[in-house]
Amino acid sequence: MSSPIIIACLKWVAHPGEPHDERFAGASPADRAALELALQQAKELGGTVTAVTVGPPATETVLRDAVAAGADRAVRVDGPAAMLSSDVAAGIAGVAEGAAWVWCGDYSLDRGTGSVPAFLAAALGAQQALGVIDVQFAAPGPAARVTRRLDGGRREVLDVTGPAVVSVEGAVADLRRAGLGALRVATSASIDVVPLRSPARRLKAVVQPYRPRAMALAAPDGSPLERLRLLTDAAAATAARGETVTLAPPDAAARIVAALRGWGYLDS
Amino acid sequence: MTDVDVIVVGGGPAGSCAAITAARAGLDVVLIERGPFPGSKNMYGGVVYPRILDGLIPNWWEEAPVQRWVTRRSTMLLTPTQALTVDFRSQAWGAPPYNGATAYRPDWDHWLAGHAEAAGAQLITSTVVTGLLRAPSGAVTGVRTDRPDGDLTAKVVIACDGVNSFLAKEAGLYEHTDAKHFTLGVKETLALPKEVIDERFAVRDNHGVDIEILGGTGGVNGGGFLYTNLETLAIGVVLKLTKLGAQKARPEEIIAGLKRHPAIAPLVQDGELKEYSAHVIPEAGLTMMPKMIADGLLVAGDAAALCLAAGIWLEGVNFAMASGMYAGEAAAEAVRAGDLTAVGLAGYQRRLSDTFVLKDHRRLKRAPELVLSDRVQHLYPQMIANVAERMFRVDNPDPKPGLRRILAQERKRAGVRRRDLARDGWIGFRSFG
Repeated sequence: MSSPIIIACLKWVAHPGEPHDERFAGASPADRAALELALQQAKELGGTVTAVTVGPPATETVLRDAVAAGADRAVRVDGPAAMLSSDVAAGIAGVAEGAAWVWCGDYSLDRGTGSVPAFLAAALGAQQALGVIDVQFAAPGPAARVTRRLDGGRREVLDVTGPAVVSVEGAVADLRRAGLGALRVATSASIDVVPLRSPARRLKAVVQPYRPRAMALAAPDGSPLERLRLLTDAAAATAARGETVTLAPPDAAARIVAALRGWGYLDS
Repeated sequence: MTDVDVIVVGGGPAGSCAAITAARAGLDVVLIERGPFPGSKNMYGGVVYPRILDGLIPNWWEEAPVQRWVTRRSTMLLTPTQALTVDFRSQAWGAPPYNGATAYRPDWDHWLAGHAEAAGAQLITSTVVTGLLRAPSGAVTGVRTDRPDGDLTAKVVIACDGVNSFLAKEAGLYEHTDAKHFTLGVKETLALPKEVIDERFAVRDNHGVDIEILGGTGGVNGGGFLYTNLETLAIGVVLKLTKLGAQKARPEEIIAGLKRHPAIAPLVQDGELKEYSAHVIPEAGLTMMPKMIADGLLVAGDAAALCLAAGIWLEGVNFAMASGMYAGEAAAEAVRAGDLTAVGLAGYQRRLSDTFVLKDHRRLKRAPELVLSDRVQHLYPQMIANVAERMFRVDNPDPKPGLRRILAQERKRAGVRRRDLARDGWIGFRSFG
């Protein structure tokens, strides 16, 4: 049985503070965490790590960093700098076919949509665990126990077995510091360059300022009058008028309860 | 057998020029930079005089990342309410081969390091050299870095790790360091539209201005500067460390005071603060220079205190580039000859001694002390400004007084003794004459 192939997907992005200066560009924290987890898992499973990126030759810097950190192979899928997520995923899928695990960053620093991992899982027909905030490699066995961040502060714990695509947040792991020898070798390491499977559709240039996506908010419960009180913050307005009293603790507590009831907070 | 021929520590102007010359000589060179890219850790704001690059990068001006070519050079003398400016302009400095230029060092250093890489040097970034590797004999055989597996051996190490060089100190090349030999440079970068800068400083296109200021430092010995970049100004002060400490003054307040001065305020008005930074400067010249050669080790640039702070001449980058260049050449010479001892590396000292690098420092040996002395800092500016004010003031119906009389009166009023004036004049003449 051949050793499992583990893929680490990396995206070369401009630094948000210096968007026009390539000297500050590099992998996002989430991608660096993904690479670290790929390296850790490869050690657990006795597998090899292939670092993959999609883009022009300038993006190879993230691959060289990955090789310096310990990746066994580096592949650049040749394409433009900005592409649709589905096309990026299709490009990576060409390299990741047959891989036991694919590790991705949850989202990139350049306001990425975080959709590449999902497209990639679909393209590979693999399981997916997205938005992961904790990873525990089960020993022995090929599984990983991951914790996902859900809406409303909830968590989901999954036992994942490969083939799977896992996207992780940046805080999950710190990428190891490359050794000096490895760093020197990586500067001249060979990078495999493969073409995109299909012509990439370029992203249209975004000229408007960034706007966060709208959030769906549930309508408040209760009667119109209660909703009005919520929206106008009537209780706070009443409370703002306030009063200062000096009372013994039991009397003070009773006074507070009475005030809360008066403002409608304690109505059943 | 060593890992490489030459390790250059520090990707500043000295380091990159050392790497260029050593790599071009066919040596296996590694250039180690602590920042994510050369220049990323820099806070420089000044004028670069790159003529030394003529032999290294022909027609360097066609590609160098210059902000503005300095065609106006002003020396300004400030008292709290007066300003006397000597202003020189030369259009010749705005055309090849140029004279000096303002530049952003992150761009300049990045550019120079690119030439080092093109010459074959391997650039390693984000790596801090934490110490020297030594043979039992004490000879330097390499460096230790903060990376795992971080030791690297070499035939020659060139330390270009900047002012307060830990490597030169570790090698025992600095006999002693004294705070009085250093100044603190503090700088603000203020953004203004190019047209506004052009109009305020009376320049056009990519021509710029260099204003050196005596006074305006809130009573702390030192000086000020104001340089024009394309769309920013670099304004700051250089303060004698010991005086700054003794007076418990805050550098940012001193800059704020300089910016409020009536002669400066209109120039910097509405500038948007983009950056505030500070750095120690080795200002004592020859007095503080370390030994620059040991077995297997050369020291160049600020690490060797090769910074010329002589009042009307404030230069550092050209000395760094030249010393780095000569260090690279000397290293190549020693490696070829197979003699890596201090004797084998002595070509470095010879090159420094035969060129402006040490000739200028020898000539101006006493200038830094003179320029930062209390008389030059506090008495003479007031005296000269008062003389100028009386010269140009019309006190009718009184007749115009003679210059000699004004000088004598103002000298006496400033409390300057004749013999001090004569002594300082003699030192100045010997230095600058």
